[in-house]
Amino acid sequence: MDRRRYWRRLALAMLAGIGVAVWVFPVLWALLTSFKTERDVLAYPPVWFFEPTLANYHEVLFGASSIVPNLWSSFVVATLTTALTMLIAIPAAYALGRLRYPAKRASGFYVLGTQMLPPMGLIIPYYLVLQKLGALDTYGGLTVIYLTFALPFAVWLMVSYFEDVPFEMEEAALLDRAGRLRALWYVILPQVRGGIAVTTIFVFLNAWNEFMFAVVLGGNRVRTVTVAMFNFISVEQTQWAKVAAGAMLAMLPVILIGFFAQRHIVKGLTVGAVKGGGRR
Amino acid sequence: MRLEGIVKRHGVTTVLHGVDLAIEPGEFFVLLGPSGSGKTTTLRILAGLEAVSAGRVLMDGADVTLQEPGERDVAMVFQSYALYPHMTVAQNIGFPLKMVGTDPAAIARAVADAAAKVDIGHLLTRTPGQLSGGQQQRVALARAIVRQPRLFLLDEPLSNLDAKLRLETRLELHRLQRSLGATAVYVTHDQEEAMTLADRIAVFMDGRIAQVGTPREVFTRPQTVDVAGFIGTPPMNLLPARWEGATLAIEGERLPAPTAAGAPRDVTVGVRPGDVRIATAGIPARVERIEDLGDTAITSFDAGTRLVKQKADRVPEVREGDSVRLAFGPEAAHIFDRATGARL
Repeated sequence: MDRRRYWRRLALAMLAGIGVAVWVFPVLWALLTSFKTERDVLAYPPVWFFEPTLANYHEVLFGASSIVPNLWSSFVVATLTTALTMLIAIPAAYALGRLRYPAKRASGFYVLGTQMLPPMGLIIPYYLVLQKLGALDTYGGLTVIYLTFALPFAVWLMVSYFEDVPFEMEEAALLDRAGRLRALWYVILPQVRGGIAVTTIFVFLNAWNEFMFAVVLGGNRVRTVTVAMFNFISVEQTQWAKVAAGAMLAMLPVILIGFFAQRHIVKGLTVGAVKGGGRR
Repeated sequence: MRLEGIVKRHGVTTVLHGVDLAIEPGEFFVLLGPSGSGKTTTLRILAGLEAVSAGRVLMDGADVTLQEPGERDVAMVFQSYALYPHMTVAQNIGFPLKMVGTDPAAIARAVADAAAKVDIGHLLTRTPGQLSGGQQQRVALARAIVRQPRLFLLDEPLSNLDAKLRLETRLELHRLQRSLGATAVYVTHDQEEAMTLADRIAVFMDGRIAQVGTPREVFTRPQTVDVAGFIGTPPMNLLPARWEGATLAIEGERLPAPTAAGAPRDVTVGVRPGDVRIATAGIPARVERIEDLGDTAITSFDAGTRLVKQKADRVPEVREGDSVRLAFGPEAAHIFDRATGARL
């Protein structure tokens, strides 16, 4: 029995190791490459031991091809998108999750349905619309486009959190003379804050990592970091070390957020798996 | 507090068919009935949590039918307690006062006062998750009494407690209501709870009020056969009979009736298990099961088409399988119309 358990654990550990390796390898490769010179990057056979250099970081931060303005662009777009999305999605998810009104199912399905459209099919109409409005290559334009997919995603993610708050709790608040808005503020929102945190993080990361809309609808003024990194790859030459250094910098906020919020994220994603305060 | 002709429909199903009720100030009023009988819906209509399809709700003479829950000045204790899990006990209790802008010092005093009334003064800094079921229940009570509302609504507040705690809390609840002099409306399906707590009981059956009265009235003079079958442990024995003159013919045997019938008719006779006795003459029956509960004994008899239960202080001197005769005094018989179920 113990022997069998040992082998099983070993097999599981190996499987997990392989899984982790697949995920970690690109990051590790980028991390190592970001400290190499371009010559070391292209050396064949690959060199395992090399003299690390900070030149790539210096170049992408302070050099001619600095990505700092692009990091700022990404930050502005992602923050704006997140703030606007949450501002609209929280009351929307509350309504979908807790209120009784006509066509509730239909509107719920509509929200989900918008998620099913392939973004590729939308990019040309979006381009034409933004062009007509003169909103190409503006923060406003890109943010509005990001809203179109961030909003349904956020609403869809948060509805179940709102549904999980027992109805009696809100009724108790209504009887305690809170009224609907204050019941939402004092009683419901504090209980769905885990879900709100998770959704905020996802919306921010999605906007931060987005590439396709940014490359088509952005330009010289609004060029996000994902697009800027792409510019290190040209027909004549790919500057792998700079791409890697840029990628590490672009990844930094993602990793930091993930590190500090992982407890929330895991808890948020498993909500409903274990029933605490039950629903009727 | 009055309900006038309250009708409640959910789509095509009618949950309440015209409920009329008047509750006096300071009264402990219990809405009793089996699940699905409409008692909780009635309570929620009083609270303003459900809209009525027809009828009026009056409080202190004013029509509050269309008022929001928060405008009615009523407090409710929910079956699940519905405490706010992210707030401390003190914040939970003080919440209704905070919502009307009471100043923090006054809230603190009122919270301490309400908590002391239900013996939870030492728990104020904890959160509901750290409390036992009984303690949570007290927090819910304190939250209700802190604002001194004109009406308390309690929705099966004891049903989540274990049996021993339920008995203790029942007593305390009664003492609390008396000391506050508050009007309370209490929903339960537990008739023992209703009998011990209520000044008056409204018995709900299928969305209608079958009877309103003191516990004693409801027990001793049930107005319908449904009420008779619902109240009492074990419930009243109900036997089909023919009422002719001053006799009741049950299973071919003639037993004396409390009064003479006008004209011979088919009736249902109700007899409390405590009034059934083993006699030399009467309804033929076979002893099926004897349950000795220590201080009482419940015996089940197979009386032809019906099961008859007897409740006695002592275990009867018969054995399972014995053939016996069952009888009851004429004053013990409750006679109901066979067709309508109304008391005759």
